[in-house]
Amino acid sequence: MHYQRLASERELLDGLAQPHAAILCGGTDAMIKIRAGLLNPSLVLDVSRIESLRGIRRNGDAVEIGAATSETEILRSPLVRDTLPLLGQVLVQLGSVQIRNRGTLGGNIVNASPAADSAIPLLLFDTEIQIVDRSEERWMPLESFFIGPGKTALESGQFIRTLRIPIPREGGGSSFHKVGKRNALTIAIASLGSLIWTTEGTISEARLAVGSVAPTPARLRSVESALRGRMLDDALVADARQLITSSISPISDVRASAEYRKNVIGDLLVRALEAL
Amino acid sequence: MKIACTINGKRVEMDIDPRLRLLDMLRETLHLTGTKEGCGEGECGACTVLMDGAAVNSCLVPAPQADGTEILTIEGLAEDGTLHPIQQAYVDTGGVQCGFCTPGFIMATYALLLESPDPTEEEILSGLEGNLCRCTGYSKIVEAVHLAAERMRKVA
Repeated sequence: MHYQRLASERELLDGLAQPHAAILCGGTDAMIKIRAGLLNPSLVLDVSRIESLRGIRRNGDAVEIGAATSETEILRSPLVRDTLPLLGQVLVQLGSVQIRNRGTLGGNIVNASPAADSAIPLLLFDTEIQIVDRSEERWMPLESFFIGPGKTALESGQFIRTLRIPIPREGGGSSFHKVGKRNALTIAIASLGSLIWTTEGTISEARLAVGSVAPTPARLRSVESALRGRMLDDALVADARQLITSSISPISDVRASAEYRKNVIGDLLVRALEAL
Repeated sequence: MKIACTINGKRVEMDIDPRLRLLDMLRETLHLTGTKEGCGEGECGACTVLMDGAAVNSCLVPAPQADGTEILTIEGLAEDGTLHPIQQAYVDTGGVQCGFCTPGFIMATYALLLESPDPTEEEILSGLEGNLCRCTGYSKIVEAVHLAAERMRKVA
């Protein structure tokens, strides 16, 4: 295995043109996979010091975060704290101090775990990611980037440079809840995030995203549109619980049964609605 | 692969196998065996060291990434045979039992107190959330952090 520490995107594109090259940044996922033999790169491309992949800045109505920016840096950013409080609220629960000092949003996204906590707020914010290769740079909604467990739309020769997170308009109520066995370092059994706006007791817009109950972290568009225009009352809460449990088809695995996951998601939505 | 870094205040230059983890480099190449390997997957925190002032799991850091950084391990804390106040506080409160997790806890505590010299109970719990101890039940460890913080503030 060869190891290259890269200083520029040009070097990265050259490296990605080599056979069996893999990108490594914080190593929190890649190091485990390499040691377990799940990833066998002949060339490791260390992107942790490529300046253009790092940093947090405001661009118009969005916050742009470099794919190789650590979660700790994001948590310390006053811009993120002021404009995207839900992102901080989720990241602070992610992994542990040691993991957050090394882990990155780019890594989380490419890892494409169905249980990725960070994907939930990013999906709620309608995040777009910038994919770069030799011939072009293009923006893609994060929602269409996730294809299946560990599978993404990223093709060979491509890398992610930046995440663009539109700042949601004011007045929305947001929440994130996950259920797992330990607070730190837990892989969620089920998680739900919500961003909901109400006008005079009526829901004007609802965004819902769930983790660990589908092959990828996902928005629940059908439930979102069913909630829109409804009065926020006990009947709605009961209906919403019913609707969300019937709209997901989680699997049973070592962590929990499908039935349990459905119930948990229903309860988490109730909790989110009751907190509005 | 040639790298140069500062380890416990000393400049070190060496030629390493790039497949090594920082943990292997410390333990096998430099014989700094105070840093322990527990799970090897970033879950237990036994291998915690400071890299440029931030706590990291040395089992998840490729050794080449140490190039140009400052690493602090448990061996770098005591001065002239006198334990660091954090080490002494763990001894005094009984925050050490079998001792295997202790170097990791002490390094995580060191990183925490750099940021919050007077941490609340909640800050201690979240600062040490990446470390597991199977002996103490944690309450003595939390006591140790409070005691260390108090003693270090008096000195400062």
